Amino acid sequence: MLRREQRKKRYYSIGFVLPCLVLALFVLIPFLGPSYKTLDLALKIIIFASLVASFDIMLGYTGILSFGHGMFFGIGAYCVAFLNGKYGDPTYFHLFLGLLLAVAVACVLALIVSLISLRVKAIFFAMITLALAELTIVLANKLSHFTGGEDGISISLPGIFSAAFSPGSFLGLDISGRVITYYFILLACLGLFALMLRFTHSPLGRVLQAIRDNTDRAEALGYKTFYFQTLSIVLGCTVAAMTGGLYAMWVGYVNPESTLEVMAIMLNVLLMVIIGGMGTLYGGIVGAAFLLITQTFLPDLQKLAIDLFPNASLLHTILERWLLLFGILFILVVIFFPKGVVGSAREFIARARGEAFFSS
Amino acid sequence: MNDAVLKADNLQTYIGHHHILQGISFEARADAVTVLIGRNGAGKSTTLKTLMGLLPPSEGVIVYNGMNIQGKRPYEIARMGIGYVPEDMGIFADLTVEENFKVAKLKEDEATAGRLDRILELFGALGKFWHAPAGNLSGGQKQMLAIGRAMVNNISLLLIDEPSKGLAPIIVEALIEAINQIKEECVVVLVEQNFYMASAVGDYFHILDDGRIVHSGRMEALVDDEELKSRYLGISKSKS
Repeated sequence: MLRREQRKKRYYSIGFVLPCLVLALFVLIPFLGPSYKTLDLALKIIIFASLVASFDIMLGYTGILSFGHGMFFGIGAYCVAFLNGKYGDPTYFHLFLGLLLAVAVACVLALIVSLISLRVKAIFFAMITLALAELTIVLANKLSHFTGGEDGISISLPGIFSAAFSPGSFLGLDISGRVITYYFILLACLGLFALMLRFTHSPLGRVLQAIRDNTDRAEALGYKTFYFQTLSIVLGCTVAAMTGGLYAMWVGYVNPESTLEVMAIMLNVLLMVIIGGMGTLYGGIVGAAFLLITQTFLPDLQKLAIDLFPNASLLHTILERWLLLFGILFILVVIFFPKGVVGSAREFIARARGEAFFSS
Repeated sequence: MNDAVLKADNLQTYIGHHHILQGISFEARADAVTVLIGRNGAGKSTTLKTLMGLLPPSEGVIVYNGMNIQGKRPYEIARMGIGYVPEDMGIFADLTVEENFKVAKLKEDEATAGRLDRILELFGALGKFWHAPAGNLSGGQKQMLAIGRAMVNNISLLLIDEPSKGLAPIIVEALIEAINQIKEECVVVLVEQNFYMASAVGDYFHILDDGRIVHSGRMEALVDDEELKSRYLGISKSKS
């Protein structure tokens, strides 16, 4: 009886209703704005939200900094590309095998890096992943007969995912291979997100937070911290590789610049996690949405300003440097949401509930 | 009959190039509180860290319940039944009080059943803040949580590092009462600078000075020895 009451209360909480509304929005987006630009933006938000959440598992929940998260993303993309472009025909089996290969390679590589670096100190993990990531870019460029080099690899998708597939329309929406791929990737990312949520809300997640707060103390409580850190890294990297594979499915093309450009991807992921809030998972959605929406629409502001105010040349010049505006927006977010949007909102709600008023 | 639960013999510990423990040897007897006392920098906290495996000694033997535990990792030592409360308390600030206990509990079995009730009996204030983030507790409540958390498993030895540090006298009194009850259930090794607290709970004492034990004995003897207190602890008759 009590449990039913608790469950009912949970269903009405903001922590449950808000994610459901966000999910509903993503489900409806092909119907609301079926243009390619909208669909592309929505899907990149979904993929990057999952990628940022996987990074958050390591940094926000376990306190492990990795500079190689972009590398795992790229490895996942290349695994799908190899089996559905360069070395295999587009079949469902190859697509499944590509995603499976992404998971397997990421798992093994993450395990090896953890075994090498964590035995010493967690900071070595950051250094080794940075070196490995740079090495991967060099290999992807130099081994061009294998990876396609700078030209990259084009991907073809099988059956219902192919661009040519068009069975008809549903509620006014033209169902195409793109739309089906959108829903497939949305479903896959939802599954990955649910897995990460389950992981962080389990007793295991609590141990990870304890390790992040005080590694020595967690060890003195009886936990083999190395084992738990490794587990967190393997999960984070595997999810990153999966999202890379899904990204490759969507863009239909991989090259070192787009999927392995470690610093560019890492910078975006770091910005997203800072904007959304570390150790929140949901912060990934907010961070990815903020960054990708501003990056997509800020460059259009100049065009809009020319149409609306044709004589305001100073405004045109300012809006031409949209990165400057982005920088100002980022600074404002950091000032007003020091723990990220989700982290600060959670703190605000906790304070409102009176949990933070203890004498110290 | 030798009833020592813990026996440290000739512990030599370095931190970097500094030779901190220079041959510490002592025993912690059953049903008693052994207090390590001494000035700042004498090596008291280092001794507890060495016993817990956090600072492995370069030489020496640590025997716990007849087993040599020297060289074992902290998690292995903890699983053998040694609880440890560090000087900084080591509270997981972002977790709630309940979650702090849940993280600390390694397994649920007959031996640990009812321990949480017992802990809440000892430190009733914690129950009031059960779902609050531990980082929001007061200093005294954090210390209670740290000690309670170390006792949530089936332990037979509890190492506590300066529990009275920075606490109000009334909280120190509450801790003294709690430790006097805890010593009925497990062996306690206490590091303490506050002589009032040390003498109120201690059965045996070891004075540390420059990484060596310079005096040992029963606590009553130290309470009466003004010369010893003045020389090693800086306590004059008027102060005590």
